[in-house]
Amino acid sequence: MKFADFICREALLAELSVQDKEKAIREMVQSLCQAGKVDAAQFDDIVKAVLKREELGSTGIGRGVAVPHTKHSSVEHLVGTVAVSSRGVDFASLDGEVVHLFFLLISPPDRPGDHLRALEYIARQLRDDTFCRFLKQAKSPQDIQQLLDEADSNQFGP
Amino acid sequence: MADSTVTRTVVVTDPVGLHARTAVGIAEVVRRSQSTVTLIKDERRAAGTDVLQMLALYVPPGQSVRLEADGPDAAAVLDALESVFAGDFGDPAQEIA
Repeated sequence: MKFADFICREALLAELSVQDKEKAIREMVQSLCQAGKVDAAQFDDIVKAVLKREELGSTGIGRGVAVPHTKHSSVEHLVGTVAVSSRGVDFASLDGEVVHLFFLLISPPDRPGDHLRALEYIARQLRDDTFCRFLKQAKSPQDIQQLLDEADSNQFGP
Repeated sequence: MADSTVTRTVVVTDPVGLHARTAVGIAEVVRRSQSTVTLIKDERRAAGTDVLQMLALYVPPGQSVRLEADGPDAAAVLDALESVFAGDFGDPAQEIA
């Protein structure tokens, strides 16, 4: 699995406009709605589901990274977006640090394997400090897309 | 008491595999302990404090992971981690890891 398999390039956000956890999630889900990747009529339900998952424990997994996610029956394939916040969002992360990089994932209920594969791919790429640093410095959706493409071409990571 | 290394093999029974919340749960236990914990799968190693490293191990349901703990509370921390792997987070069926 590669970023191109699940990250929607039309929904990339180079600068989240908010610093609040719930608003950040809403902005990312909205971006996927606007890109036509999720049904806009399901916006509130998806946001609610992502927030409910966060209540079980923050997906702020440390090192300035969060992977907010949920299952939702309105999607047929795993779909996701990447968002960057240069100022950082308080996400109640494991290490107490603000989050600069977000990978939001929405999975069909019957495809847990794809979710695990996506997490593995994201984690594998983010272990490369250069990839992380460049992604945090992204100034445009095009910058993000270029970095994702380079990662998919094995230009980062072990 | 001298530090000692303790190892244990656990099978991931969660239907999603070793997912984000399990990894965070492991990291929380290890960070509270006085021991160093490493997860090992197929010769690949992940620090028990590092969620990204653990997710990058990629452990689907049914596969096993070796836990290696080194420190004054090594056995106790592995006991606690076994409970995390047992994975009863009280999830509603709808939730994803």
